[in-house]
Amino acid sequence: MLAITASATIAGVDGRPVSVEVHVAGGLPAFTVVGLPDTSCREARDRVRAALLSSELGWPEEKVTVNLAPSGLPKVGSGLDLAIAVALMVALDRVPRDSVTNLGFLAELGLDGALRPVRGALPMVAAMDRPEVVVAPGNHAEAQLVERVQSRPVSSLRQLAEVLRGEAAWPPVPPPRPVATPPPVPDLADVRGQPVARQALEVAAAGGHHLLMVGPPGAGKTMLAKRLPGLLPPLDPGDALTVTRVWSAAGLALAGGLIRVPPFRAPHHQISSVAMIGGGSAAMCPGEVSLANGGVLFLDELGEFPPAALEALRQPLEEGTVRVSRVHGSQTYPARFVLVAAMNPCPCGESGAPGGCRCSDSARARYHRRLSAPLLDRFDLRVVVERPGAADLLSAPVGEGSAAVAQRVAGARSRARARSGGLNVDLRPEELNRVAPLTPGSRFLLERAVTDGRLSGRGLHRVRTVARTMADLDGAQAVSDEHLAAALAHRVDPLGIGVRP
Amino acid sequence: MTALPPAAHLAALMSLDGMWPRRARLVLARRSPEAAWEALLDGALARSVPLLRALRGRGPELVQGWAEQARALDVPRLWQRHLQLGIGVTEPRAHPAALREDPAPPTVLFHRGGFDHLDGARVAIVGTRKCTRYGRDVAFDLGAQLAEAGVGVVSGLALGIDAEAHRGALAGTPTAPPIAVVGSGLDVVYPRANDVLWQQVAERGLLLSEAPLGAAPEGWRFPARNRLIAALADVVVVVESHVRGGSMSTVDEALRRDRPVLAVPGSVRSDASAGTNALLAQGAGPVTGVDDVLAVLGCTPGPRRPVADDRLAPDEMGATVLDAVGWQPSTLDQVVLRTAFDVGAVALAVERLIEAGWLVRTGGWLERVPAHR
Ligand SMILES: [Zn+2]
Repeated sequence: MLAITASATIAGVDGRPVSVEVHVAGGLPAFTVVGLPDTSCREARDRVRAALLSSELGWPEEKVTVNLAPSGLPKVGSGLDLAIAVALMVALDRVPRDSVTNLGFLAELGLDGALRPVRGALPMVAAMDRPEVVVAPGNHAEAQLVERVQSRPVSSLRQLAEVLRGEAAWPPVPPPRPVATPPPVPDLADVRGQPVARQALEVAAAGGHHLLMVGPPGAGKTMLAKRLPGLLPPLDPGDALTVTRVWSAAGLALAGGLIRVPPFRAPHHQISSVAMIGGGSAAMCPGEVSLANGGVLFLDELGEFPPAALEALRQPLEEGTVRVSRVHGSQTYPARFVLVAAMNPCPCGESGAPGGCRCSDSARARYHRRLSAPLLDRFDLRVVVERPGAADLLSAPVGEGSAAVAQRVAGARSRARARSGGLNVDLRPEELNRVAPLTPGSRFLLERAVTDGRLSGRGLHRVRTVARTMADLDGAQAVSDEHLAAALAHRVDPLGIGVRP
Repeated sequence: MTALPPAAHLAALMSLDGMWPRRARLVLARRSPEAAWEALLDGALARSVPLLRALRGRGPELVQGWAEQARALDVPRLWQRHLQLGIGVTEPRAHPAALREDPAPPTVLFHRGGFDHLDGARVAIVGTRKCTRYGRDVAFDLGAQLAEAGVGVVSGLALGIDAEAHRGALAGTPTAPPIAVVGSGLDVVYPRANDVLWQQVAERGLLLSEAPLGAAPEGWRFPARNRLIAALADVVVVVESHVRGGSMSTVDEALRRDRPVLAVPGSVRSDASAGTNALLAQGAGPVTGVDDVLAVLGCTPGPRRPVADDRLAPDEMGATVLDAVGWQPSTLDQVVLRTAFDVGAVALAVERLIEAGWLVRTGGWLERVPAHR
């Protein structure tokens, strides 16, 4: 007796349809799974058997073969449990054969027959070419984000059998769980003083420029970085779905359904390069660079990250995607984010002010060598962030709130999009004379910066793109000398390590 | 070999591994350099009970190692190298008076330039390598004005204050030579950044070291170097120092020798002035200008040439920004907050002030430049 059900597995952030074929025949009792199952998938036998028995649906004392097609595709995780159990029920005539033809099945089975949510439900449901998909109630919020599919949340195998036999209707959709609203993004109004760093955040949000903040502990670098998502526009529907798929594939809680707030990811510096870019097992989980897609990747203590993890950032920073290769093949994940990094000026943690450091020259040099020139080069914005002094703080006006800044950012972004179809960070050098022509005064400033060795040729282009963003934030048609001087001031050599190529 | 001067054997002895000044003093006790060299080669030194005892437990091992190295050493060639580099090697009785009479006199000195450069009054200008623009400027000015007043400037050729003091002492129209004491061999320029300055001091003044040719700038050599700086100076001026900076060891050595110690006052906000301000609190004389130093030396200050400031006067905005920077390192943030202009306007004013020579940028910091350059 042969029975076939539809399900899906996940490869990277993409779902892949899987056809589950169960064959029950006479012979010594056995249970074999073929078709590249991973360990957790092979263990389906034990879960499916216990679930069927505890649901009083019976278990064949015969030879059972489960074929997962297509055979070349690695099958990962426990999401195929339900499809296997249902195919067995069909093969054993516990449910009518035609009751499953329009259905897809995606859930892990508990030993008691309960349906359990799986990671990556969104992309997997999207991959199934069935009009209705049975999922665990915990996956319903994700599954219903796929518009052409009717999500059928069911809580147990026994309940599902009753529905398939026509003895019961589909259970009502569970009332949406009280949505754990994502913690509100902290507001920029909390930041007192620090006008340069505030402007750097605004420019990063408006132009997509990457930002490096250098300053001693306690200067508020993390506090500043956390406020960047609040300056970015909410994700548009397409981006929101992409981000949600990535988060779903990573198995992160998706209580609220579609993710609309730009994500903020702040991996610890002990992160491995696999966790940074993705990969690992055959499941190929998306890494931090993909979880930050559409939002902010914040690396605190940049100098402490292992060189391999930083090196792994290169491709995402250049291409906005990351390609991860493993034994079973390779996957491309989205990875377009604003990189914000923070570091101390030197190991002693004192102020970076001239005369403020207590490190030996060799300790300083070692610390600075950890940053490769190509990585440093990615930061269009490099600012010094100092602990604000009491006197300066008291005289500081209360800063603008995030909403007002976000509005300016949105305006600047739409001006940039209207002009060049994208963000200023992606402006090519050859476009600059058209979109950001230089005044004689600006030309002089740049020439001097190059002669002084402050700017490299590449740095010169980058300063001009930042100046363009400054002008967009002002709503100005032309880039003024002030915009250019401000852009130069946001690209200091904050470590005092001289110009890098 | 008979044609070689005693200095050649001194140089050879000092080139042996582990022949530190204290050990060299033991080896050379009651022996001429040639005699010590011969005693090393023929094994007499290895049998000298007083020497072995004085070298403590490692004596036999050390002397045997030296003997092996000595047999392999090409003394004429080593001496030739000293001659080529213009480096003299002297034993204690040929040392300058200030060092001969010192409580911790050097054993052997390597030097470029003659000891006659030590004939006049001498002031040591020392301070931190991690100095501020203010410290740099004061060190330069003091160096220049002392050298013009005929006072030899003694320093250690380190980065920061040391180097600025000698740059000043070489600028303008000096009437006294620069004097430097370094911690490495005289053919090992350290730090490399001071290469040119090192050569200029050697050409126009005196460069001294206790270390043989090829010796690396090892940490233990610097306190010893500082004691020689203190010993050679009539007055020690500390321009900028952290509380536990290396210059404090020069101060201790100066006080041990009853040399007056003067300090340049700095901002109470500046770490680089924390040590010098503490010295002032402990009674060191303040240096507010070169006259304070000359007064301690007993010289009468000469007429001072007025400083010509040919910089373009800043406009109103520039003057406000300059005022906001003040006389200590400031970030752009601080200047923006103090002026209440927006970032772009301040940034442009700063660029113009840098262009006109009123400000310099160090990393992300702005520092004000005084009139003299
Ligand atoms: Zn430090």
